[in-house]
Amino acid sequence: MDNTLVLLAQGFVQVMQPVNLLFLVVGIMLGLLVAVLPGLTLVMGVVLALPFTYSMAVTPAIILLTAMYVSGTYAGAWTSILFRVPGEPIDVPLLWDGYPMARKGEAAKALGWTLIAAFFGGMVAATVMVLLAQPVAKIALTFSSPEYFAIIFFGLASVVSLGGGSLANALISLCAGILLATVGVDDTYGAHRFTFGVPILTDGIDYLVVMVGAYGLGEVFMRLEQGFRSPQLHKVSDIRTRLPGLGEALAMKTTFIRSALAGIIIGIVPGAGATVASFLSYGIESQYGKNRHKMGTGIPEGIVAPQVAATASVGGALIPLVTMGIPGSGATAIILGAFLLHGLQPGPQVFQTSSHIIYAMFASVFVGIIVMCVIGYFATKFMVKVLDLPEVIVSAYVVMCCLLGAFAARNNLTDVLLMVVFGIVGYLFERFRFPITPMVLGVILGPLAESSFMTTMISFENDWTVFFTRPVASVVMCVAIITLIYPLFRYLRQQPGERR
Amino acid sequence: MPIPPHARLRQLAPYALVGTAGLFLFYVATQFEFHRRASTLGPDFWPKLILGLLIMVCACEIARIVFTKNPDRDIGIVLEDMAQGADTTVATESTEPAASHPWRLLAGMAATLAYVALVGTTGFFLTTTAYLAAFLAIGDYRNRKITAALSIGGALLLMFIFMKLVYVSLPIGSGPFAQVTILLMRLMGIR
Repeated sequence: MDNTLVLLAQGFVQVMQPVNLLFLVVGIMLGLLVAVLPGLTLVMGVVLALPFTYSMAVTPAIILLTAMYVSGTYAGAWTSILFRVPGEPIDVPLLWDGYPMARKGEAAKALGWTLIAAFFGGMVAATVMVLLAQPVAKIALTFSSPEYFAIIFFGLASVVSLGGGSLANALISLCAGILLATVGVDDTYGAHRFTFGVPILTDGIDYLVVMVGAYGLGEVFMRLEQGFRSPQLHKVSDIRTRLPGLGEALAMKTTFIRSALAGIIIGIVPGAGATVASFLSYGIESQYGKNRHKMGTGIPEGIVAPQVAATASVGGALIPLVTMGIPGSGATAIILGAFLLHGLQPGPQVFQTSSHIIYAMFASVFVGIIVMCVIGYFATKFMVKVLDLPEVIVSAYVVMCCLLGAFAARNNLTDVLLMVVFGIVGYLFERFRFPITPMVLGVILGPLAESSFMTTMISFENDWTVFFTRPVASVVMCVAIITLIYPLFRYLRQQPGERR
Repeated sequence: MPIPPHARLRQLAPYALVGTAGLFLFYVATQFEFHRRASTLGPDFWPKLILGLLIMVCACEIARIVFTKNPDRDIGIVLEDMAQGADTTVATESTEPAASHPWRLLAGMAATLAYVALVGTTGFFLTTTAYLAAFLAIGDYRNRKITAALSIGGALLLMFIFMKLVYVSLPIGSGPFAQVTILLMRLMGIR
């Protein structure tokens, strides 16, 4: 515990260095802008920032991306509450109560509740993250290949099951991602897999190209087809934030605590992320909250529950990333990419070899939340002005950032071509309602899954039952299988009439 | 109301396509060349396992669309299901059907592919300026002065950031196009 506090204090010292602090503030500002603009999603924003970190040292790069991730879960609330324009899916539950509150003339108070909720959720989750990281990493050090495979399998199963949407489409997307990761020359046998004699495929497909193309360019193509419909904004005369009193906040302590716990747990589950946390927490409040019958009419609980959970999910999602190298969401997949680009593999060993970077990242979450709330309190009025920017202009620069991002990784135009191809694939995925996140996580986790599976098969003489005979692996595998089967079970249990 | 056959066909087409591609790739995987070691799984095992799953999912989905009465309902958890009991009408009451501009989309894709094909020859600055102007026009942005300013200014700004600050060696082009880029690099103090 003492060691953790010392490392965290050193992390704070690093974050407070002028360059790191500058990148933290820039990251917070960018995250807030990305969350406000309807044409940009949180994950897309983090993807677009990645190429700018190539020439940076690893610590400021990670601080920048983490700061974007933290603040990206907050600012969308402003446009949801004020204009009924959710910046991204995370913010949809916020408008169910936030917008009616604004219509009742309580917009300033609604924004105040959002700020308090983001602060509380973020701080609690960051504290839990710091406390859990070392013990989880120690446990992870005892794992061997069957346990690792089971955990990765659980991650892939939950991204498929909890992604929100069709299970079949998510599975197909995941399989596509895992298969993309197999393209190239196999490390063990030197066999060419799916290269079709094309030289550019021999080196394999960089996951960065897939991420930038599918998340960034694909989304722009989708919006181009829809004709860049900018939202019609009504006039809001006075945009300011009014914080609730301590007594009011304490009266809702159960909602705060319940939602923070839900957010952290959902964040830890690989594949779930802030959107699921936000929706689920709203659902929990609707079921068990003191004012559950008033949910949807414009009450603070409807704002606090999803916002606390969304911000708390950030701390939760960083735990599996740093302790096991398994990203819990699209945004953490990109932060993992930033680690790898700088030659650092997150996992239990990283606490022994590069703990200063990890704790600088942890400290940046704490400092980032404070900076985010200060900016949120004073600058909401100015930040929401970016909604006036025509979406086509934003999109034009998004495409340029995608093209430059793909090129800058290896100074190779072939990567740019592949990125455009994945942009088209990303568009087709969206068009036919295939989720993109399973594909991206499949590309990143596919090689890890394959190597841990093959190592297990070699070590245990092709005995696949080992996944169900070792205690940790068997529990995780069973949970993963239940996660996969649950939507099917739910579908079969519904009456034929309900299967609308 | 029964679902018309053409609607079912349209629904199952993507799965039929993906399933067929999966079958083809499975065949390709059986043709991988490597020296097989006794009692060890080869490099073809993992892709075959994933392809088997992919084909099975497609087959199940096709069967579901063909044989169920209401194939519109997906097997899966939608986000609104998680927020049980919530009144979601506020979120949906103003949702209009999305307009479709397929020609804009195709033009945007073509312009992006043309950018990749030309940037090596015409250099970053000229290609980017032309691309940004083309993209804004395709996106139906009609203010020509702002388009010109955003295209030229944006290309210069990106060039400065990436070549001067991020140290990425962007394509300078060839022949007379390279001269333009080199001149701009000198003016911006980029070596």
